[in-house]
Amino acid sequence: MLHKYVVLLRMKYVEMFAYQLATIVWMTGAMVQPLITMLVWMNIYPEQEEAFIFYFAVLIFVERMTSAWDVWELEREIREGTFSYQIVRPFHPIHWAIAENFVYKALFFVILLPVWGILAVFVPALRFQLSTLQVLLFLAALIVAAAIRFLFSYSFGLLGFWITKVTAVYGMFEAISLFLSGRIAPLSLLPPLIQKISLYLPFRYMIGFPIEIVTGSIQGTAVMYGFVGAMSWLLFFMIVLSLLWKAGLKKNQAVGG
Amino acid sequence: MSIEVQQLNKQFQIHVRQAGWTDALRSLFKREYRLVEAVKDISFHIPSGEIVGFLGPNGAGKTTTIKMLAGLLHPTAGQIRVGGYVPFEQKAEFKKMMSLVMGQKSQLIWDIPPMETFLVNKAIYEIEERTFRQTLDELVELLELEPLLTKPTRSLSLGQRMKCELAAALLHRPKILFLDEPTIGLDVHTQEKVRQFIGKYNREHKTTILLTSHYMGDVTALCDRVLIINHGKLLYDGDLKVLTEKLTPYKLLELRLPDVPNIPWNTYGELVAVEEGKVTLRVPRERIPEVSAQFLQQFEVHDLNIEDPPMEEVITLAFQEGSHAS
Repeated sequence: MLHKYVVLLRMKYVEMFAYQLATIVWMTGAMVQPLITMLVWMNIYPEQEEAFIFYFAVLIFVERMTSAWDVWELEREIREGTFSYQIVRPFHPIHWAIAENFVYKALFFVILLPVWGILAVFVPALRFQLSTLQVLLFLAALIVAAAIRFLFSYSFGLLGFWITKVTAVYGMFEAISLFLSGRIAPLSLLPPLIQKISLYLPFRYMIGFPIEIVTGSIQGTAVMYGFVGAMSWLLFFMIVLSLLWKAGLKKNQAVGG
Repeated sequence: MSIEVQQLNKQFQIHVRQAGWTDALRSLFKREYRLVEAVKDISFHIPSGEIVGFLGPNGAGKTTTIKMLAGLLHPTAGQIRVGGYVPFEQKAEFKKMMSLVMGQKSQLIWDIPPMETFLVNKAIYEIEERTFRQTLDELVELLELEPLLTKPTRSLSLGQRMKCELAAALLHRPKILFLDEPTIGLDVHTQEKVRQFIGKYNREHKTTILLTSHYMGDVTALCDRVLIINHGKLLYDGDLKVLTEKLTPYKLLELRLPDVPNIPWNTYGELVAVEEGKVTLRVPRERIPEVSAQFLQQFEVHDLNIEDPPMEEVITLAFQEGSHAS
């Protein structure tokens, strides 16, 4: 199993460098929206400038580390019929997707970290002091967030066995998630009712939750409850995915000659 | 490793879409479905090591059947055993002993060289290093892959890619091989190469092969036995030669003469064509010896050729027979 992963990781690494330019454009392109949103908030609350810079910088990092593109890939493969080759191979296709996620996110990580370090020299707002516990909790929340977002995206992709254009439906959920995950604004700025609702939906645990740990906006029991919520959604999507996989295979039309 | 199929059925629900503006709009709200029976009550048995041709026009149900045999599609009814396994159960052991090649789809990873796909398959199919090297060397030699291994897949020509597809599918030495249109779109020379390779591979490794193709040449060169399917029904299962004799009780007799005499050719057989220095006749099989002897005695014949009618003709007749029967 480990050996298979090593081989898949190597292949995905080679593949990633086959699309050098696309990877860079895609990486930087995804930062534009949060940066603009940041500028808007800084304009509204000039006295909290520093807090917003820090929040959105962490957001960019978390968003890149948890980003999930699997629904697009799966939809294309199922619609074009190339997914058939994944099914006939004696290795679950999800491992290919996991390996791909590892490789791309490792690249983001090694690029974003030094960039942050350099920027922090010039932008005081990016300097931070965190306890070891905070760092560990943040990393744990980040990994769970990446897993939930991945499972959500992959499960949606599997709906491609039933619907031909799943990304359209996925786009709608992404729009909702924009608000409820803390991407448009820190959740604490949202109306109390929406804040409350966001605690029970999966979107907060995909992005907002790890950021809240780092910014210190939640502490103690709130963090603990956060992990309960995150783990529940993780488990939920794991079950959903495996059910969809079984049912999807039965439904599969293996399109194309 | 045999293939056993009993009363296999597959039905699809197809969403019916109407052409035109209003009908397209209406289909947004009210979807109409139609049940399509792609495969109806098909049964056959392929013993270990045999290579069988699967023939039928587009949409006959060949690919659907192959996809069920490979475990991609869930049969609506009926039983399949491939090498003792039920394909749709998706057991890893089953997947390791079979392989599927689809001429219209690629398993090679598009933007990187074929060798990368081979290495991934090596890991996924758990192929030992030594076996892998041996198999790869053999395939590289037989298919002349050496210069292709390090080029990105997308830059390969269709023929080059197909050869790499075959190699990728055979690295784990499958006992059963499903080839769906492996020569589609290839030029005559490459078709011939691929065909020779498949035949050789089957003889040397005793691989059970089920092959579909639009090119009769593939089937006549490789398979003694054919399965003919149309409208989802199995019309014929048996020897290709027997079928030819049964459906076309005549041969084509081609005469080359310096001067074509003006005689009633129809007394010898059905006249197909008279050209400059050449006459083609359709002669009943039992009259062939007598007719050819007469020609050789009476005329100054330069060349005399006796051939079976083209396979296309036989198959067309088989399809017609089938549709009369149904």
